[in-house]
Amino acid sequence: MTKESNRTHEASFRDPSGYMFHDGPVLRRAVNPIYFPQYNKLKESGFFTTLIDKGLLIAHEETSVDKDQIILTPEKIPFITNPYEWSFEQFKHAALHTLKLQKYALSKGFILKDASAYNVTFHKGKPIFIDTLSFDFYEEGTPWRAYKQFITHFFGPLVLAKYHGTEIFKMMQTHIDGIPAKLIASMLPQKTKLSSTLFTNIHLLAKMESRHKEDYKAETKIANLSRKAQNNILDSLFNYIKDLKLNEATEWGDYYTKTNYEAAAFNAKKELIKEWTTALNPQKLIDIGGNDGTFARTVLDKVPHVIVTDIDSNSVDHNYRQVQKNKEVNMLPFVCDMLQPAPGIGFNNTERASLIERLKEYAPDLTLALALIHHITLSGNVPFEKSAEFFAKFSTNLIIEFPKREDSWAESLLVRKREFINHFDFYNEANFEAGFKQYFTLEKKETVAGTKRILYLFNNKNLGK
Amino acid sequence: MNFLYFDPGTGAMIVQGLVAAAAGILLFSKGVMYKVKSFFGLMKEEEDTYDSIDVDEKDTKTHDEGK
Repeated sequence: MTKESNRTHEASFRDPSGYMFHDGPVLRRAVNPIYFPQYNKLKESGFFTTLIDKGLLIAHEETSVDKDQIILTPEKIPFITNPYEWSFEQFKHAALHTLKLQKYALSKGFILKDASAYNVTFHKGKPIFIDTLSFDFYEEGTPWRAYKQFITHFFGPLVLAKYHGTEIFKMMQTHIDGIPAKLIASMLPQKTKLSSTLFTNIHLLAKMESRHKEDYKAETKIANLSRKAQNNILDSLFNYIKDLKLNEATEWGDYYTKTNYEAAAFNAKKELIKEWTTALNPQKLIDIGGNDGTFARTVLDKVPHVIVTDIDSNSVDHNYRQVQKNKEVNMLPFVCDMLQPAPGIGFNNTERASLIERLKEYAPDLTLALALIHHITLSGNVPFEKSAEFFAKFSTNLIIEFPKREDSWAESLLVRKREFINHFDFYNEANFEAGFKQYFTLEKKETVAGTKRILYLFNNKNLGK
Repeated sequence: MNFLYFDPGTGAMIVQGLVAAAAGILLFSKGVMYKVKSFFGLMKEEEDTYDSIDVDEKDTKTHDEGK
């Protein structure tokens, strides 16, 4: 997203109630007159205040009010993660959060008029609802109109993940309005028809959707659904999701017991990172391939906002659990495969920004890439200058760890190349430095005591200090 | 007052009556099981860090009901 002033936010065009726009560097929300009755009621009844006080809805200030438009300025969220970047636990919590809001809204005479997974993101260690205009008046006896969206955006993907693993969440990239009910049903084992919750919410829904898809004139009569009945749906979905576990759930394997170096070396690496980071005094830091956040946590008290990504959803889950347990407000974990970062999706390919776009906007002062480059280079076959180009797009400073050929992990990756091992002769210190020096200046270089790994600090030639 | 800015799906609107009926039965039986289990002290500790579906309004002063 380029920073032109007064430009409509690319993700904000579907709802006629209002839209988000960039006012210089500030993101604001315009409310259209069509939504004034709802907005005023939500405000006057204290509905917004309660949700904001409870940390359930993003806070906002009323910037201006006139008869054609109300302008709100929401609290800034440093980085937006999308559903296909969440771990299982995060996805679950976002779903539970949505149900909680709908139940509360219903008790106050409102509804959530949509249940898009993109209306929830993670902020200050918790899920938060970010679409202030998603509430509408409840009409006594009407079913929940966002029910189908809840199933296709949240419930379906979660249940599929139970049987097929969290890779399923990536399907959200190809289905911006959620996975179709029919597709969810077709991918679930037959035995799921025996569960009353899965049978009704998925299999029966898929069947009813197919049966009524030719209702072009919206003639089918929709029966009443009492408030109590709707609460039953919400409660039962909540309970089901809360107990949902992955079938393949491996216990947290404690990656760091599998390291190839001694505890002393591990601590030496921690100390070095702490020392270099402290000297740079970064306000925003991202640790790419940062596992469960072990290294990023050593500087968490010094950096106001920290992001940790990993390719392994399990590690991200483990990190997220620690965030919850320690009530950390400045740590944001999410799932990212560096070799295929999330693309820009949706209308115009810009509705949901690509990872690179979002990282550029986030503009971290410091990027950590520890125990990563050998994977990118040797498993992904990415030349050093290509990796450097990637990091240079968004990192001002870069602390990167280079395991030498003699490092047992690098060695094992090399050995797996078998007869092509000679194709990877370029994997050495000199070529690594040459590649990165195309985009960065070398600031510091130090071997981690007790290991065959070197830690580098680079500064971006174009983004500067 | 509903804005039909996205299609809620006719099937999805109709199916909710059946979903609610199944949910009602399930919640009732779970409630009974809960009472039986807690009577015998068989309740497990909660693992999930997400709290409950209900918003606790007790400590919110600003809320103005009945409007």
